[in-house]
Order: sequence, then structure tokens, then C-alpha cells
Amino acid sequence: MRPPVSMTAAALLAAGVLASCAGPAGTPALLRLRAAPDGPDTRLTLLAAPGLEINARLLPALELPNGTVYRFASGRRSADSAYFAEPPSARLPGRHDRVHGTLRASVCRQDELVCHSVALQL
Amino acid sequence: MTRPVPLLLLSLTAAATPAAAQMLASRPVAPAVGTPAPAWRNASWLNADHPLTLPGLRGRVVLLNFWVFTCYNCTNTVPSLVDFDRKYRDQGLTLIGIHTPEFPPYAGEHDRANVESALRKYGIEYPNAQDNDSKTWELYGIRYWPSFVLIDRRGNIRYAGYGEFHLNDGAYRMWDGRIRELLAE
Repeated sequence: MRPPVSMTAAALLAAGVLASCAGPAGTPALLRLRAAPDGPDTRLTLLAAPGLEINARLLPALELPNGTVYRFASGRRSADSAYFAEPPSARLPGRHDRVHGTLRASVCRQDELVCHSVALQL
Repeated sequence: MTRPVPLLLLSLTAAATPAAAQMLASRPVAPAVGTPAPAWRNASWLNADHPLTLPGLRGRVVLLNFWVFTCYNCTNTVPSLVDFDRKYRDQGLTLIGIHTPEFPPYAGEHDRANVESALRKYGIEYPNAQDNDSKTWELYGIRYWPSFVLIDRRGNIRYAGYGEFHLNDGAYRMWDGRIRELLAE
């Protein structure tokens, strides 16, 4: 029996984020990546934790080892168009139960009005 | 043959584990106030006839602004920086933008033409260095966009901080007071 994909991937992602987060008091950035079937393809959706905004001026990206880059987007942005008003997503051709690559996002803390970059090795 | 995709909900968190603490501890610390400012070596400059160097600015107060045009918090702060430049350049302040991209080149932040366009859009007339390899960012231990480092006439880091601010708000007045303090020395 195949191990639950979510557990395997989550472990990898958690390891990746340890190397990439930088909070002022050791507080990590919090992002969640949700994958779901989308017709014959896979839709990845990026969700930010409360207090964090995802920078819409710099579309989050999934870089695959073969050099392909998928950008996350959303039709709705904040009134100032700086942030996503709904979680951005990207559509990957085909069905995938795991993804290898680098996920990048610019996340902005609303309490301190700063942005920082998150790079996760998937 | 395609396989069904289970619904994944992956929480990307960095718990306060020893490993995480070690990672954080090994990162560069914020600019060390009271120590000599490290010399940057950026080669690509805008709004400057030649690359500016720290030794060449000795005797002037220098405010470094680490920013990138894709950062809303950064561009919101630009009017205050333009104001500082307008008020204090002739009194001895040199404001320098250190334009440090967040993403790899495919995002366009590395392109000189895009930076030039942003300078025009926001009315920035003070010198800007392209920090495309993030060397100056790392040299100063910067972590956030926007960040600020204020260097005195002797080349020492006197103040450092980060975060958006606006004309005449509390943070603006704080930085304004710090600049005036160093100009008076």
C-alpha cells in the first residue's frame, strides 16, 4: 500500500520551510499549499496564514527541475491591487500526487508592513 | 495513465524546533549598530554618473534603503524618502536605494529598464544600485523589504530598521529626527 501522499509531501515541505523562513523573533511565515484535481489537471492553491498577505505584484512561482515555471494568479486583488484577495492558484497539466521543485512567494506581514521572500524546496 | 489526485492540504510551517532555531541563528544578524558600515561593491547604478562607494561618501550622512519595485510596502515609503532627499541632500545627506530583487530574473526585477521605469514612476532622483546578486543585502544582514540603514559621517552604522512609513507619520518623524541628529554632528 502506498503511503499517504500528503504525509510524505508535508514532511518534505516542512523540511524545506525550515531553511527558508525568517521571522523577526523566530516566528515563521505560514503558508499552505493545497492540491486538488482540476479536470484532467492538478490545481495548486496557495493560502496564507492570518496576518500575512501574498504579494500580487510578484506572482508566486513554482519552478520545476526542467526549468518550467508556473505562476500563481487570482482574479481578485485587494483594492490597492497589491495583494491577492483570494488565494492564488496555478494549474499543472496532468495529475500529480507529488511535485518536485521550488515554490517561491513574496509574503507581507500586515502588522509590521514588511515583505519577505519564501522559497520552499518541494 | 493519470492517477487520481488526493486532496492535499499541506501546512508549511516552521515550528520552533532546535533545527529551526539553528537555522535562524546561522543567518546573518541585522546591521550591527555602532560598527563600521561594510563597503558595498555594486557595479550597476542608476541616477549616478559613477558607482558610489562608502569611502567616497565619508563626511556625508548616508541613508540606505533596501527595496524592490514589486514590494508595495517599499513603494509606499518612497514619498517619504523623496522628501528626505529633497530636504537634506544639500545639508549632507546621501540617500541610496539598494534595489534587491526577491525572485529570480524571470520575474523582471533584475532588468535595469524595469528599475529605471520604477524610478521615473515614483519620482526617485537619488542614486540607486542594482543589487541583483543580493551581495549588499547579505553584507548588511537585511531580511525585509523595505529596510533602512543610517550611516554617520564617519562611516559607522548608527540606526537600522524596517517597515513601511508615510509622510509625517510617527516612523517618518523618527527617521527625520535621526537624520537631523547625524547631520548636526
